[in-house]
This record gives sequence, structure tokens and C-alpha cells, in this order.
Amino acid sequence: MQPNLNFLVVDDFSTMRRIIKNLLHDLGYANVTEADDGKTALPLLKDGNFDFLITDWNMPGMPGLELLKQVRADARLAKLPVLMLTAEAKREQIVEAAQAGVSGYVIKPFTAATLKEKIDKILAARAAA
Amino acid sequence: MTTPAQEFDLYAPWVTAMSRALDDGDGDGFRTALAAFDQSRNAEVTQQVRRIAIDLHGALERFRIESKLIDLAQHQVPDARHRLAHVLRLTDDAAHRTMDLVERCCPLADQLAEQAEQLILAYDAEGSAPTLKPQLLAFLKQAGTSMAAVRSNLAEVLLAQGYQDLSGQIIRSVMTLVAELEEALGELVRIAGPVGAATGCSAEAGVARGHGPAVPGINHGHAVSGQQDVDALLSDLGM
Repeated sequence: MQPNLNFLVVDDFSTMRRIIKNLLHDLGYANVTEADDGKTALPLLKDGNFDFLITDWNMPGMPGLELLKQVRADARLAKLPVLMLTAEAKREQIVEAAQAGVSGYVIKPFTAATLKEKIDKILAARAAA
Repeated sequence: MTTPAQEFDLYAPWVTAMSRALDDGDGDGFRTALAAFDQSRNAEVTQQVRRIAIDLHGALERFRIESKLIDLAQHQVPDARHRLAHVLRLTDDAAHRTMDLVERCCPLADQLAEQAEQLILAYDAEGSAPTLKPQLLAFLKQAGTSMAAVRSNLAEVLLAQGYQDLSGQIIRSVMTLVAELEEALGELVRIAGPVGAATGCSAEAGVARGHGPAVPGINHGHAVSGQQDVDALLSDLGM
């Protein structure tokens, strides 16, 4: 558990951002920043010092998959853990996200336990690498 | 409509027959040719009138459907858009209101749990010593106040769910409009006849931008049925 990690939560619905932010707070992560799509998230990621990205897929402007690809294409951000938290549940989409380098994939509706499990797993894998 | 060449072919035999009968002084032959000539003219006129009637009927039907579509496109569709935007606001407001209330309840619950834990520790250390009494009373008072606040917040959470009724009514009216639109467009397609292959949006664009939440009965390809399926699929992919 590293409470000082900086999270960026990207979702076009403010309610969902708030739910995720609350769950992260409950998990002990207090540093959470929000963005409402990939276009606003990318400059934040490039300028900021984020340790973890949680993003939706279906968003106006830049969708989550494109954001993931841009993150992986950026040398400084390439290793950033990216958790896709989305209602997109088609097999080919999950495969595409995996091929684009997603670190974890959680489908909505989700539980607090699932979110915790995936974050822990991604952070453990990162620590082991 | 008959062309002059077709008219010539159609009437020439009768006119020739009449001319011949006239030359021959054949009164009966002339009348027979004239009657046949008349009949062919009438048949042609009847056919043209029938064609005009069909065209007129088609035009009236098109006009009726087009007027309906114009009304739908100019008034009802923009109205529906505003109504759906209102649904979005209603659901957004209700969700935030609920979360506000939950966020107000959580610290009260945390505080009580913490105080209870401290009391247990104190009790374990001091037993039922009278020094514990003020602390215990303060806790009970705090519990009463906090629970009253939680109870009032929960009542408001309940009220906030009223959005479902309002948004449900609006969505139902928009569903009726979509059905009308579907019917009018269907009739228009029927009148227009086959118009070649329909052009849909490409599946490629759908994958990149996303399909949105899975809706029972609407299929955009193979969907996973839950988080376990996602985990299994990712595990198959070596993740």
C-alpha cells in the first residue's frame, strides 16, 4: 500500500469520477486528479507526475483506447499503469485494449473489491518488474 | 402517355378503314370502323386517367408522410433531444445528491465506530470504573445525534430516487416518438422502393470509439458476461 501514489481518473461522467475517487479514498489513496476525456487527460499526464491512470473507454473527444495508445507511444509515460474501467464488454475490444498495452480491464458495473484487487495486482506486478 | 408514332400505329387502321368505306359508299362499314375508332380512343383516355389517379394517390401519400416527417424533424426530434438532455441532468443531479448525502453519513459512522473502539479499550483497561461514566454518556449522546442525522440523510436519499419516475416518463415519450419516426421512415422507404445497399457506420469506428454499455437484445458482437469472463480472456492472452 503506497498512499502517496498520484492517480488520474478519466471519465466523461462526473458521477462516475466521484464514485471512483471515493473508492480510492476508501482504499487509502488520497491524491486523485480528474479529467473528463483523453484530450484533457493527456496534457495533465505529460505535465504531471502521475503513478496510475484509470480511464473509461467511451468518451467524447478522445476515447480511452486512443488515450492508452498515446500514453504507450510517449517514452516518459510508456510504463505508466493503465486500468481501463469501462462498460465496453465486447471480446474484440478487450483483446484490442490488451494489444494496446492495457495493464488491467474492469467492466462496469464493478465492485469496490474488484477495483482494489486489480489495482493491487497491477502495483504488485510493477514492483516485481 | 402515347407518342405521336404510337397514336399513328393505333388509329391508322381505323382511319384507313373509314376512308375506304367512304370511298366505297359502304355506310355499315364506315359506322363499324368509326365505333372501333371511338372505342380505342376511349380505352386510351381511361388508361391515362387511371395512371393520373395512381400518381395523384402516390403524391398525396408522399405528401402525408413528408408532412409527418417534417413535423417530426422540425419540432418533435429537437424536443426529444431537449427532453433527453433533461433526463441526463436529472440523473446527474440525483446521483450527486445521493453521493453528497452518503458522504455526509460516512464521517458520522466513522466517528462513532472510532469512539466505540476507544470506549472498549478504556473499558478493557479500567473495567466498570465510575470514571468511564462521562465518556460513556458523551458517546451515547453523540450516537443519538449522529443516528438522527444519518436517518434524515437516508430519508433524503430515498427522495432523491424520485428522478426515476420523472426520467422514466420522459424516456417513454421519446420511445413513442422514435417508434413514430421509424414508422414514417419505413413508409417512405416503401414508397421510394429499393434504394440499393444500405450504408451503415463502420464496425471499425464502433470498436475505436466504443459501443456503450451492453443492452439486452442488442448485439454488437460477442460480449463477455462479467468480470470473470474478462479475467479469463486476459489470462488466455497471457496477462
